[in-house]
Amino acid sequence: MTPPTAVGSARPEVVTEAVPRRRQAWIEKATSADHKSVGMLYIGAALCFAVAAVAELVVMRVQLIVPENTTTDPEIFNRILSSFGVTGVILFAMPLALGLISYLCPLQVGARGVAFPRLNLLSFWLYVAGAFTIFGAFLWRPSEAGFAAMPPLSEPLYSNTHGVDTWIVGTALALLGFVCFAVNLVATLRNMRAPGMAWRRVPLFTWAANLGGYLLLVCAPVMLAALVMLFIDRHYGGVFFDPGYDGAPLLYEHLAWFFFTGAFAFLVIFAAGVISDVLPVFSRKPFFSHRGAMACLLAVAILAPLAWMRNMYTAPIPTAFLVFAMLFAIALTIPIGLLIYNWIATVWGGTLRTRAAPLYALAAIGAMTIGLAGDLAWSLIPVGWQIEHTTAAQGATVAVIVGASVFGGFAALHYWFPKITGRLLGEGLGKVALITILIGLYAYALMSFFAGVKGQPVDIYKFFAGEGLDGYNLVASIGAFVMAVGILLELGNAAYSYRNGVAAGHDPWGAGTLEWFATSPPPIHNFDVVPDVRSSEPLYDIRRAIRDRTEAWRPPAPATVPERPEPEPEPQPEPVGRADSGGAEGGAPVA
Amino acid sequence: MASRKTVRRLALSAALAAAALTLFAAPASASVFGPRAGHSPNADDIRTAYWVAIVVGALLIIAVHAFLIAALVRFRTRRGRSPRRFTAGARAFLRPAVPLVVVAVGLFVFGIVMTTKTREVQATGPEGLNADSDLLAQVNGLSIPADAHPLNINVVGQRWLWRFEYPGGRPGDRIFSLGTLTVPVDTPVLLHVTSTDVTHRWFIPALGGQVDALPGQDVGTWFQADRVGTYHGQSTSFSGTSYAVMRAWVHVVTPQAYKKFIDRKRDDLSAAQDYVARKLGESGTSEAIP
Repeated sequence: MTPPTAVGSARPEVVTEAVPRRRQAWIEKATSADHKSVGMLYIGAALCFAVAAVAELVVMRVQLIVPENTTTDPEIFNRILSSFGVTGVILFAMPLALGLISYLCPLQVGARGVAFPRLNLLSFWLYVAGAFTIFGAFLWRPSEAGFAAMPPLSEPLYSNTHGVDTWIVGTALALLGFVCFAVNLVATLRNMRAPGMAWRRVPLFTWAANLGGYLLLVCAPVMLAALVMLFIDRHYGGVFFDPGYDGAPLLYEHLAWFFFTGAFAFLVIFAAGVISDVLPVFSRKPFFSHRGAMACLLAVAILAPLAWMRNMYTAPIPTAFLVFAMLFAIALTIPIGLLIYNWIATVWGGTLRTRAAPLYALAAIGAMTIGLAGDLAWSLIPVGWQIEHTTAAQGATVAVIVGASVFGGFAALHYWFPKITGRLLGEGLGKVALITILIGLYAYALMSFFAGVKGQPVDIYKFFAGEGLDGYNLVASIGAFVMAVGILLELGNAAYSYRNGVAAGHDPWGAGTLEWFATSPPPIHNFDVVPDVRSSEPLYDIRRAIRDRTEAWRPPAPATVPERPEPEPEPQPEPVGRADSGGAEGGAPVA
Repeated sequence: MASRKTVRRLALSAALAAAALTLFAAPASASVFGPRAGHSPNADDIRTAYWVAIVVGALLIIAVHAFLIAALVRFRTRRGRSPRRFTAGARAFLRPAVPLVVVAVGLFVFGIVMTTKTREVQATGPEGLNADSDLLAQVNGLSIPADAHPLNINVVGQRWLWRFEYPGGRPGDRIFSLGTLTVPVDTPVLLHVTSTDVTHRWFIPALGGQVDALPGQDVGTWFQADRVGTYHGQSTSFSGTSYAVMRAWVHVVTPQAYKKFIDRKRDDLSAAQDYVARKLGESGTSEAIP
């Protein structure tokens, strides 16, 4: 392990032939391969698609507010429905996570860049190209083949417009982008960690990101393969999924559900990483069991995708396979329960600063618990026969996805906004938005769940009076509207704070991880000096070293002044707003 | 260690409150939080499984929320308090794994037992019809006892309608009905579910769980309605424009009424075919109509 050096060569040298021509700011932003710039592009685009997803949800819930509503035509409803799943998961939730990962993970492991910066940039533009393909189709005729374009419905016999093609191409482009992203992420985290940043010392957010990268590498190509096969079916006479020629529609279901289960696990793991980083900082306590949480996250990443057939209990699959799916789905209870225990134990006994970030993190735990408990019930095969493919399954899934990506994502935004912009994300409006989303989500998810238990299927454009579903749907719709208002509030809050937020200084929270060692926002090379890492909270070590050195030095005391008592060296992190990091002075390696 | 005691007390009271809430709320709220009443043995098994699973899930939800709120209220930052900076060793970390493992193993075993139980076709009841099983076929995944005389019915999904084919027609002509399935009460009914176009899903909540209707595949399920009445449900697999109206009704009647229904259907079918044959004979065309 060579110690890093900040010492340049002794005499000045000419290191460049020409100063690069300055280009317009937007061109710089769009073409910069800096991981922070790419991360911000991802976050910005994802939040735009959050607006799109919210709009689609509102249109669908308006249609379902009363029985036999005729506000929206079935075709229009089905078009919105078919793009909603992709918008919510692939265009909003996952890219938001990827943006934060791209921005923060190199900083957290003390890297000055990423392994494949241009691949990282390419991944973003592939994703945007996919999004434009999907939404561009709305100018003509988008897909009407449902949220995952399951064959045979998406075969040309039943969907003979190009809507499904745009859906396939758009989704595939975005997923290809995610695979590129994951390649870069995994390579970066494997090879570019700072000296001493062993895996056991990596912050939990980065550990979660690393697992997420592997999940994407495993799951996204499976869906890509399915989409390519479907495209071949549609245009080149393939019969992969055509039952008329002994093709297997079930095969597509397997492949698609494998990916969607992996994406679901990706979001949960991402949120778990965020929560694990936020809670100890704001409770002013070390994380309860760093290694235990790492093991739990690893277990979730392995078990969750293996339970993909949990979504296919109704299909003609031999019982033994279904039992295996049930085994993995139920076994997930153990690592997830231990994670929740870890989080509560981290807050327990601490002094929780009730800023918006930890509150969002706690809300994420609550919402994900609701959804995952619903998932646990649904994991039992007979219960699955009753509630899967009904709005019960949908309600549980929505609770997890919104809990992970909206609450977890906004917790991350509140926590790292000062790092990204140098400003605080508005606290007051953030908390109001939190309460609004929480009430809306709980009403929406729980009422959907119980409507589904009564037998309401997913994806219907209308339900009928006299089946006892009116009340559930009314409350679920109102809940969805309230949730939409909350999400828009928080997005407006972020847009406003981006330019007008309170200046935060370099290290507003007194955290222990390396991203706060850089200035806020960080310079293009992240760190002037890369520190030598000795623990899982390297910044505390650095602060202690600085304190020791500054306190070791005493001004020569005049004899007339009586000596003051020595202040106790407190084990606390520095108070809010104190910037003691960044710059070469704070960057001395800790001995 | 006052705080550990407080932790225990909080946990205990949360668990007790949850249990009490569940106990008292269960009868009153069954109609709100539960499925529609089941009218078939497999539907009843599903409901048993549902209630066990949902109570376990609700207890977990309530416990976690109680702890979250307690942590939020008790451990807010206050002047003059400093955090207790403890971390866990492996043993403290793994302690809560024990109850979690117990819950998981219990649910898993319970799930297997209920899966098997739900698939056990029962023998014909005293008021039921002993169907002559002329198209008895081995149905995937179901265990059928020797003394059961199930009624075999083909269920064919097509956009956006269900077609039911009954035994007892003339050779080559299946008696069928559209939209509404008529079956005798107290009789095990084996459904052979399939589709002619896209994927559909057969689901009558009162009469058992969902089962896929896949083109080219014969997927089995069963029910045994315990009383006369009409039950309804709808497809739960997205199938295009009019998917939301792809509903089905099951009309459960006495065996006598069922026999009458079949006879009438057979006569109607014969009359229709005779009519077609006569018309063909009159017009003299020899277009192949079977």
